[in-house]
Amino acid sequence: MNPFKSIWNFLYISFHRLGSPREFYTISAYATPVFGLLFLGLSTYGAYLGLFVAPADYQQGDSFRIIYVHVPAAWLSLFIYVVMACASAIGLIWRMKMAFVVALCSAPIGAAFTFLALATGSLWGAPIWGTWWEWDARLTSELILLFLYSGVMALYYAFDDRRTAERATAMLAVVGVVIVPIIHYSVEWWSSLHQGATVFREGGPAMPANMLTPLLLMALGFTFFYGYCLFHRARNMVLHNERNSSWVREMINELE
Amino acid sequence: MLFRNTATLVQPLCFFVLIALLFPLSLPAENALLQRIGGGVIWVAAVLATLLSLESMFKPDHRDGVLEQLIISPRSLTTAVLAKSLAHWSATGLVLTLFSPLLSFAFRIPAEQAWVLFISLLIGTPSLTLIGAIGAALTVTLHRGGVLLAIIILPLYIPILIFGAGMVGQSTQGAAIDSQVYALLAIGVLATTLSPFAIAASLRLTID
Amino acid sequence: MQAKHGIAKLPFLQNHCCIAFMSSAARPHQPDTVASLAAVDIRCQRGERTLFSGLELSLERGQCLHIAGANGSGKTTLLRTVCGLRKADEGHVRWQGKDINDNHDFARAVAYLGHKDGLKDALSPAENLQFYQQLDGVLNTTLIDSTLQRMQLLQCADLATVNLSFGQRRRLAFARLLLQRKSLWILDEPFTGIDIAGRDLVEQICLEHLAADGMILLTSHQSLDHSSLASATRVVTL
Repeated sequence: MNPFKSIWNFLYISFHRLGSPREFYTISAYATPVFGLLFLGLSTYGAYLGLFVAPADYQQGDSFRIIYVHVPAAWLSLFIYVVMACASAIGLIWRMKMAFVVALCSAPIGAAFTFLALATGSLWGAPIWGTWWEWDARLTSELILLFLYSGVMALYYAFDDRRTAERATAMLAVVGVVIVPIIHYSVEWWSSLHQGATVFREGGPAMPANMLTPLLLMALGFTFFYGYCLFHRARNMVLHNERNSSWVREMINELE
Repeated sequence: MLFRNTATLVQPLCFFVLIALLFPLSLPAENALLQRIGGGVIWVAAVLATLLSLESMFKPDHRDGVLEQLIISPRSLTTAVLAKSLAHWSATGLVLTLFSPLLSFAFRIPAEQAWVLFISLLIGTPSLTLIGAIGAALTVTLHRGGVLLAIIILPLYIPILIFGAGMVGQSTQGAAIDSQVYALLAIGVLATTLSPFAIAASLRLTID
Repeated sequence: MQAKHGIAKLPFLQNHCCIAFMSSAARPHQPDTVASLAAVDIRCQRGERTLFSGLELSLERGQCLHIAGANGSGKTTLLRTVCGLRKADEGHVRWQGKDINDNHDFARAVAYLGHKDGLKDALSPAENLQFYQQLDGVLNTTLIDSTLQRMQLLQCADLATVNLSFGQRRRLAFARLLLQRKSLWILDEPFTGIDIAGRDLVEQICLEHLAADGMILLTSHQSLDHSSLASATRVVTL
């Protein structure tokens, strides 16, 4: 048999199995601890390398080490938005319940990471730039991203009917992801107009490997942390949404 | 339809003028300062006035059931909402644009920049209406959708505001404004082609 | 262009009906033709509450179906599902064997009269009717006048609709139905707010519609047993 075909079939089947809330609940019971452990392992090792092994920056001293939280958080803030929009599109096109759950559970996590990126950026900026806030392109884009996340969440909680809320929110997320690149481009253009020399240098000195490795490890670890949080939230949401279905009732009966 | 009811026509316009006039009142009365911030202030006022008018875009049609009939009808809903958005723009965005020279005068903006401001509003406000209509469609069934509409739509307005106000700013400094014109036109083309589908889909999603 | 498209589709449609008929012959209840309008195993929920599930409906030319049920039993939801405003949580609604979603033939055949009249307050009755005619791509003012006369609204044809009484608005909504010339009428509580003479008129119109091979799906909490529609009507209770 064609190996590609069998891989495709495997993906197709697992996609459909994950699409059913019940199957998702069963599978995620195993996946959640795996993600949690991967996160712990990777980020502990990454943090150890980053905080104790990597050399201090010759300009910024030890304060640069906040990068090991800041950059992964910023990376995830964007990554989660894209995940949310993709899940929303899947939910709208194929009317898949689980896709909405994934999208909605991603929003608060994404907002939290955006906030973390902003907060760490501000903390980092205070000693290095001498200011807590700078109207820099990336900072401003990140702030707008936070507003986009809050818009998505606000819209979800405004509806009484869950089904309408899910679909309306998904629509907004999809519209948002189309506009995000335009926002980013416009803000970049705007800040280049407003500012003289920015503290951020484009294409600055390449990072040495002993600084870069922990960064990548941390980014990967944070991504698994996102997966871990997502599974936890999604499992709760599935239970809540399906509380009237027979399989949830059976499970509760077994517990009692 | 909008022209029948003069209130819907006049309200956003009054709002636009008032917002813009609050700035000179709250700032030191220096002509140089007013001149410098004028373009940006008028743009912000236009954005807010458009936002205010969005609620009246689909809500009346939803209330009297015409929207349901449009959804059921064999005519394409996408075309209908595009036509509706353009009609709405001609009663709000276009009117604001036509009034902008008057405000420019109040802000002591020289004629040349007033002309740039006029052009920037003319090519920027259709996108404001079209993108805002998506938000209006998503919140059409909600009783108090006004603040929510602002929260979900204002971040999406940022590029238009930046390019529109930037165009005026650039021309004040005597720099070329081509890139902003192209950017605004590009956003306009994107908004005209994509948002009618998003608006129609949103209406189908929220009305049930 | 539009019309050509429709004609070209017709043989295909009949073909499709045949296929659907053959496959349905294997089913236990064996209907003799494919129902014009059929709801198959639909389930709807509002919030967390399931209103109905496994619901089956079918409607043929010349038939009237009365959906009865208590308040909150899901009559309106069912009607809105059948006319395509709302998607069923499970199951399908089919028009001549084809799903009603994105179905142009269905869109051209269905007219819906809900709780909301679909009338613009600022426009006059005649203008409201013109709007709907244009939506269907025709404009015939003599037809509008005769329809208004039939609904006894000619005297207020040029007033703004906002000045009409509730009963007059309902009559105007029926005038719209008459003008639209659709084969399937979906009526939500058509008799509320209408006086006795108006009710007789509406029943008369419905009978004529059925006689012309039309179909009616309606809800009403009043019984239709004593009305002239009784003989043509089947009742389904939710």
